[in-house]
Amino acid sequence: MYYLGIDVGSTTSKAVVINEKKEIMAKEILIAGIGTDGAERVYQKILEQIPAEQIAKITATGYGRKLFAKADTEISELSCHAKGVFHTFPETRTIIDIGGQDAKVLLLNDKGRMVNFVMNDKCAAGTGRFLDVMANILHLQIGDLQEEYFKSTMPITISNTCTVFAESEVISQLANGKDKADVIAGICISVANRVASLAKRVGIKEKVCMSGGVARNQGVRDAMAKKLEMDILFSPDAQYMGALGAAIYSLEEME
Amino acid sequence: MSRLRELLNQFEEVANSPRKQLDKYLAEGKKVVGTVPVYTPEELIHSMGFVPFGVWGADVEIKDAKAYYPSFICSILQSILELGIHGAYRGLQAIVIPSLCDSLKSLGQNWKYAVKDDILFIPMTYPQNRENEVGRAFTKASYERVKADLENHLQGHFCDQQLQKSLDIYNEHNRLMRQLSLKLSEHDQITAYERRNIFKSAHFMLKEEHNELVAEFLKELDNLEKSTKKTRVITTGILADSPNLLAIFDDNNMTIVGDDIAHESRQYRTDAVNGETALDKLVDKFANMGCCSVLFDKDRKRADLIRDMAKERKADGVVVLMTKFCDPEEFDYVCIKNTLDEAGIANVITEIDRQMVNYEQTKTTLETFKEMLR
Repeated sequence: MYYLGIDVGSTTSKAVVINEKKEIMAKEILIAGIGTDGAERVYQKILEQIPAEQIAKITATGYGRKLFAKADTEISELSCHAKGVFHTFPETRTIIDIGGQDAKVLLLNDKGRMVNFVMNDKCAAGTGRFLDVMANILHLQIGDLQEEYFKSTMPITISNTCTVFAESEVISQLANGKDKADVIAGICISVANRVASLAKRVGIKEKVCMSGGVARNQGVRDAMAKKLEMDILFSPDAQYMGALGAAIYSLEEME
Repeated sequence: MSRLRELLNQFEEVANSPRKQLDKYLAEGKKVVGTVPVYTPEELIHSMGFVPFGVWGADVEIKDAKAYYPSFICSILQSILELGIHGAYRGLQAIVIPSLCDSLKSLGQNWKYAVKDDILFIPMTYPQNRENEVGRAFTKASYERVKADLENHLQGHFCDQQLQKSLDIYNEHNRLMRQLSLKLSEHDQITAYERRNIFKSAHFMLKEEHNELVAEFLKELDNLEKSTKKTRVITTGILADSPNLLAIFDDNNMTIVGDDIAHESRQYRTDAVNGETALDKLVDKFANMGCCSVLFDKDRKRADLIRDMAKERKADGVVVLMTKFCDPEEFDYVCIKNTLDEAGIANVITEIDRQMVNYEQTKTTLETFKEMLR
């Protein structure tokens, strides 16, 4: 039998199917989160690979978890991220999860049990949304930011923590003739600084792993590693960690 | 319907219909005086023949009050002013506004300019140092000011024997509310929302009337089988009022086994007992109060109180309900968190305010906290 986890986030829907050995058998992602049919569509894409009757249990997570009616159970995304990351990197003690519209820091013990956590306030600063807004100003795809980050020789400083004010600040910097790469590096560093401050509130313990969509941005990861002065664990499946954790919950609850 | 259920319905009705309650007292020919958070000398007001009526604002959209306040200020005060501007408190003879935090100090000033209804503003100025001789003299002088305003403008009459009778009623109310908090810690059938209704209704009723209801409720509670199956939490903060917020506790099978909420149990910790005259006893009460973010305490004993309460009531964790932009609470939080962490008591913080409609982030926070406590 197989076990499904669906993570309905603010901007994307992710699904992961595992087998009894907790191996990933299928995974899907759609840029369609809460308020869309993203969860249903991502589920249908999974069914193209795994027949519904072979899925023993479905666990939903993410901000839209309560809206996915096909789920047998639901678990908060923090618990699922903890589960997914610890399964992938058992040496992890701190998880920095930056999603589309919020950031969270989780502290784990050596059994993978979450012992503390903190979420950012209702603010887009230090989240994927912040990067989206900035990429839009610069007429770049979000994926292009990391390439520009590494070209920078003198990153600018973004003093505003508010996305709206920071947007004006970036426009001013560009108007003053600052190099695009330096502006982008400043943006990535700004995200890292803000979330690192959040992380310090729960107390950082090595090893640190980044999950969530923003973790895919190598520029932010690099800036975070420099800010925290430690290596950052990262999986190419960073965005799937919540869905993976949900799938593991499905399996464990059946056991 | 059981008597217990009837009483719970009665508390709910009063808690959710302050206007109806105010109109009832006005129809009875009573004079009503608004009392603003966090502490006012209610006993004094009560003894002079007025109905003290809690004015803690409400969950409303704040529009016109913003002309008098920046947006980053306590939403409780903003909502009080908003409601005042729109006539929600019409019928009050006066409003007593204490000076216990910087934001409260500005509420009195703004009230005078913004509220057009004929509601007398009476300031209640408290000293920073409550316990020493000078502090006590200051408190007494401030009480005298409230007394004089009620006498001169509203024809109230002060008599020390009458104040003693009010002190007796209020001391009894304190005792009942403390007992209530303790007994509810053994009866998780009573939901967080129902608990809030009992505490909130106290602000809109004469205490002698509330005493009768609470005493009867406590007797009914004795007949109810004890139940402690839910996740046990202590709440701390200024306010835990929104039904949407409290539904999150109930939906997650959490029960509030004790609180350090200013709107709830902080009101009932200290009795007025010692002093030559009844007024001296009221002064002594304020001198002995503490463990509250707006009452200066160099030793910050509030954190110890929360820790000890959590241990005594066998709480699984503490939920800090941080009112946005409340700097006294934010200052205390560091000490509370450190103390709880050192004691190994799980704790979590979530921000709330009077303008919140969507509690999604709090929902995730409390759900995760519950999962963490498993």
